[in-house]
Amino acid sequence: MNKICLGAACAVLGAALPLVASAQSCNVPVLKVLAQKSLGLTVMEKSLADYQKRSGTRIEISYFGENDRRAKSRLDAATKAGSYQVYYVDEANVAEFASAGWIVPLLKYFPKEADYDDFLPGRRAVASYKDVAYFAPLIGGSDFLFYRRDLLEKAGLPVPRTLDELVADIKKLHSPPSVYGWVARGQRGSGMNVWRWAPFMLAQGGQWTDKNNQPAFNSPAAVKATQLYADLFKYAPPGAATYDWSNALEAFRSGKVAFMIESTPFADWMEDSSKSSVADKVGYARPPAPLPSAAYGHGLAISAVGAKDECTRQAAGKFIAFATGKEQEQARLREKVFSDYNRSSTIQSDYFQKNVKPQILAGLKDTTPVSKLTIWPSPQWPDIGDNLGVALEEVFTGTQKDIPRALDEAAQYAQDAMEHARK
Amino acid sequence: MFNRGKTSLPYLFLGPSLLVMLVLGLVPTVAAINLALKNRVLRYPDSDYVWLRNLERLMSDRRFLNAIEVSAVWEVVTVLGAVMVGIAIAVYLFENVHGKWRQAMCVLLITPVLLPRVSAAFIWKFMYSPLTGILGWLLGLVGIHDTAFLSDPALALYAVALVDIWQWGLFFAVIVLKLLETLPPEPLEAARLDYARTWQVYAYIALPMLKGPLISLVFIKMVESLRSFDLIYVMTKGGPGVATETLDMYAYAQGIGLSGKVSYASTMAVLMMIATTLIFTLIWKRVSKWED
Repeated sequence: MNKICLGAACAVLGAALPLVASAQSCNVPVLKVLAQKSLGLTVMEKSLADYQKRSGTRIEISYFGENDRRAKSRLDAATKAGSYQVYYVDEANVAEFASAGWIVPLLKYFPKEADYDDFLPGRRAVASYKDVAYFAPLIGGSDFLFYRRDLLEKAGLPVPRTLDELVADIKKLHSPPSVYGWVARGQRGSGMNVWRWAPFMLAQGGQWTDKNNQPAFNSPAAVKATQLYADLFKYAPPGAATYDWSNALEAFRSGKVAFMIESTPFADWMEDSSKSSVADKVGYARPPAPLPSAAYGHGLAISAVGAKDECTRQAAGKFIAFATGKEQEQARLREKVFSDYNRSSTIQSDYFQKNVKPQILAGLKDTTPVSKLTIWPSPQWPDIGDNLGVALEEVFTGTQKDIPRALDEAAQYAQDAMEHARK
Repeated sequence: MFNRGKTSLPYLFLGPSLLVMLVLGLVPTVAAINLALKNRVLRYPDSDYVWLRNLERLMSDRRFLNAIEVSAVWEVVTVLGAVMVGIAIAVYLFENVHGKWRQAMCVLLITPVLLPRVSAAFIWKFMYSPLTGILGWLLGLVGIHDTAFLSDPALALYAVALVDIWQWGLFFAVIVLKLLETLPPEPLEAARLDYARTWQVYAYIALPMLKGPLISLVFIKMVESLRSFDLIYVMTKGGPGVATETLDMYAYAQGIGLSGKVSYASTMAVLMMIATTLIFTLIWKRVSKWED
């Protein structure tokens, strides 16, 4: 009997040992996160100490600007340095990172209770590559036409609903140096001037590729769109042809600009009266037809080289679930951050409906139906897009006067990049 | 102490440090040359030897040729600008400011170079801002409104170079001032007794006496100006268009920031290394001959 008991005890112990070993090996002391600063992450940092205490994992976050963050994560993954276990990824490089195997499919490591399906369908779409989810969204949105309600009322103008009306209104309200009609991103970059130019190109009837999947963004329609985009800088503040998005926002917030098309989360920035001189003076609408509203999303993904073992990936998945969870989105609302929402439950919550300004809610309702991905969803996109960005900046600043030639060269560069990839 | 040629002690002492220096210098150089002969792109795991094809492509690359021109202009403007500003301020202070006021001025003049380059770049970027910058505001007072210097392709490089000259020119002023203080006063007084004008005293007597240290300053600035990446990256990122895109900026864009073409970028780095070694050797020899 004693022998049987001893055998049973050994069997139980033997079965339990792997579990114990697994639990021990799953102690991940540190997770390093390569990120880009956002209001949501700033709020998250306030509860990070609690999370670290609960999970036993210290979280080290390194922040970079958008272009540097992309370059740094690409270098970290491609050289197999693996210094970071969690990358901040966006719609522009998810295809590149996923196709190269630099990030792992997320859902295997994303706790079920964190409810990935609660993320808005648009956010899930931009967070996926070939229908596989790779990141959990932190921020996202589409485009608003930001317009100065007070200036339009004073001039007796209705909100422009077409691109032609917008151009006409920009010219009417342009009165420098007190008010400039327009501001937009001009600085090079796939996420800078190309991002903002792409809806114009698509609106004029242009396409990224032709039916043979060859680059076609040098078509006459694209040339026309580029000419229009460049011409609008005549009605923008001095130097706008090299503005990034933050420069454009600051120009608008300083009260010197009448119209701007920018991403929806920035509406919150306009309404912050401690930093904005145009709080309660701005209206939000869908970009004038036929401009589409450019959908985007940024979020956290698990690095394949930084998180090599299953245990680290699980810890990374748990942290991502925490950083993008329902509680975090509610915490953002409580901190008056109404821009960084990604979940259906957040939008449906009473707090959101009661506290988000009615003009922003109305704008969201207006722009959502025309939201779509406006970039070329290709693994080569960051390379192609950044090169196109330089060509566009040359056009906008006048160092390249020949628009067809600039676009032809950029399209040829894109073709070479694609052929290289095929080889 | 040692009988030259009859002891191997110098080799024993020098050998290990020379070996370390050789390894530290040679390994990255050989690795860079090896990379330059391939077609390695960060996005793809494999690569092949393409030998000189990267070099061929560079020769017809419009942006690379533009970057050479921009780098050359940057080098000339910042080196000449810093040295000339340094000399001009030093001569002014030597002539007109004395005692503790001169010491106080030296402390002030040395401050800009103590600022990290990135901080200096941000400060000036904000100052240059046409809507919210102090320079735009000041120029606006006198009726000049279009002051987007960093967005003007014709002015952007010079606007950034001004920041470099502000940092290094003022620092050089202190060095030149201290050098002037070391000169014996007799030759300068003799020239003044012979009715030499102030500029003649410095152009024909004082500065020629400081030829050696001044040439060293020029060389130091030439090497320093090659490392302009941080300043330009923060202020213009190489724009507007490619107006301020220097060779290191373009190599970074191709290798890391833009497309991950590390072999292509490495070819540029190797070319830059060869070109700077040749040019510096040539200038050094010419200067040595001139000094003789």
